[in-house]
Amino acid sequence: MSGHRIGAITRRLLQQFRRDRRTLALLFVAPIVILALLGYMIRGSSSTPSVGIANEDQGPLGATLASALERSSLISASTIQATDGDSKLKDGSLVAYIVFPADFSQRAQSGTIAPEVHLEGSQPGTSVPVLQALQQAFASSGPAASVHFQPQIQYLYGGPGLDRLDYFGAAFIGLIVFFLVFVITIVAFLNERSQGTLERLMASPLRRGEIVIGYMIGFTVLALVQSAEVLLFALAVLKVYNQGNVILIFGLEALMALAAVNLGIFLSMFARTEFQAVQFIPLVVVPQFLLSGILFPVSTEPKPLQVISDVLPLTYAVNGLRDVMIKGADLTWSSLQLDAGVVAAFCVLLIVAGVATLRRRIA
Amino acid sequence: MAESFAVDVQAVQKKFGSLRALDGVTLRVRSGEIYGLLGPNGAGKTTLIRSIVGLVAPDAGTVTVLGRRMPNVENLRNVGYMTQQAALYPGLSVEENVQFFAAVNGAESGVTDALKLVELDQRRKSVVTTLSGGMRQRCSLACAIVHKPKLLLLDEPTVGLDPQLRVRFWDNFRKMADSGTTIVVSSHVMDEAERCQRLGLVQYGKLLAEGSPDEIRSLAGTNNLEEAFLRLAGTGAES
Repeated sequence: MSGHRIGAITRRLLQQFRRDRRTLALLFVAPIVILALLGYMIRGSSSTPSVGIANEDQGPLGATLASALERSSLISASTIQATDGDSKLKDGSLVAYIVFPADFSQRAQSGTIAPEVHLEGSQPGTSVPVLQALQQAFASSGPAASVHFQPQIQYLYGGPGLDRLDYFGAAFIGLIVFFLVFVITIVAFLNERSQGTLERLMASPLRRGEIVIGYMIGFTVLALVQSAEVLLFALAVLKVYNQGNVILIFGLEALMALAAVNLGIFLSMFARTEFQAVQFIPLVVVPQFLLSGILFPVSTEPKPLQVISDVLPLTYAVNGLRDVMIKGADLTWSSLQLDAGVVAAFCVLLIVAGVATLRRRIA
Repeated sequence: MAESFAVDVQAVQKKFGSLRALDGVTLRVRSGEIYGLLGPNGAGKTTLIRSIVGLVAPDAGTVTVLGRRMPNVENLRNVGYMTQQAALYPGLSVEENVQFFAAVNGAESGVTDALKLVELDQRRKSVVTTLSGGMRQRCSLACAIVHKPKLLLLDEPTVGLDPQLRVRFWDNFRKMADSGTTIVVSSHVMDEAERCQRLGLVQYGKLLAEGSPDEIRSLAGTNNLEEAFLRLAGTGAES
């Protein structure tokens, strides 16, 4: 062992990094950005789940609980008609609504407090603050010790049988395909550049658009096989909850793959080495992972982050996949038309961007 | 008349940042000749070749290839280009590489001829990663000539090759020139310069001298080509 020789290696390594500003930025700026983003998302979230309250109780207890819920900091409660509840869950303006039925006070006297809790059910974790708020309201109303709190929970989508995998599975199907296809494309296209074959192609009668579209079709074939495999495994082996049409899920996955292929081609124009290409992975994938609604519903993010979420393709893909798999959406749903349309528009935009940047970067 | 020349470069300038890679180069390559671009490393030979093929857009001046102003994608059908690095797909076999470039140029029928010419028809099924450096260069040449181009641009094609292989490469170039192909080849090896019909000496992005090997020698007042170049390059450096 020679300290001198070891020192030479260490010094050489640090010298290399000194000239590679991009890697330095990734090492020292990216973790702060990612942690700050996560912190802001979780602690800076101002919005609380919107919950409708329909008080049909002929006695006094419903009104007491309703006003306690309206004061609750866990939810933002508003008064609604019970008949409007389901449509408000469907259009996304409420995540839950609570009905105090006509005989609510009467039944409380006989020992059971049974509000009806209607949950939208397609997003993980949103039921928790609703039930907590209800429990707190119930506790603050000073119930007799003998009264049982038995909320009657109903789900618009999914149900009590849905576990975390059912919520996340739908989103992860899209994420896995997006991530892997993106990585393979960006590295393969960069290889074309670094091994000199791209220069050769550019000196042939091939047009830029032909190169990009040829690449896109080649990778898309691979991506479609992968999408089918991922979907089959998720549904047949993991038994992820699915209410929707399998072809539609596959179609969304394919759109996602197409977007990833084109993003990979486009971003490869901005990397000179494979090392730099790999650095795009955290930059592209991590923010989308955090902000696309996979972990936290976009509606609960702080408003400025929601603006960013709204321009990320993965947000629409995740939303679309959840709509199909958990809610059983089909293409007659305007929300699904929007999701699929936005992802498709991203593909087109990235193809154009990829073609436009190809010549400039080789010259 | 630009049409009588395979390549007509007029007052081409190209800067990369503060570096003047081409500084008003004018040269004409006659159809069917082997034209050697000579000069030290960094002289501007590669930039000149890349501007002829349309990969570098000149800041000023014009490039006309086979009678058409460049860049012109359609015209590239008539041009073969072999880069300094043996630019091949390492995971494909020799034949698959050549087939690919044939397909890109719409010349699938030329694969066997190209492989025979570079003497790789016996190794056609070998994957590129298993080939020696010389074989890769030969495969790269096959990719450049598979579509029987009218103009062949070769950027230091014999770098790293052993003397025997170099001779075989030049025999190939001679055969192609005899069949009407115009060849522009860059090099800094003097015995290769002797094999060209005309030479252009490039240094500091300028064409310092042009002519047949004999003309170059008499211009410099010496019988030795290497010495001629050193003298002419010295003049260029002072100017």
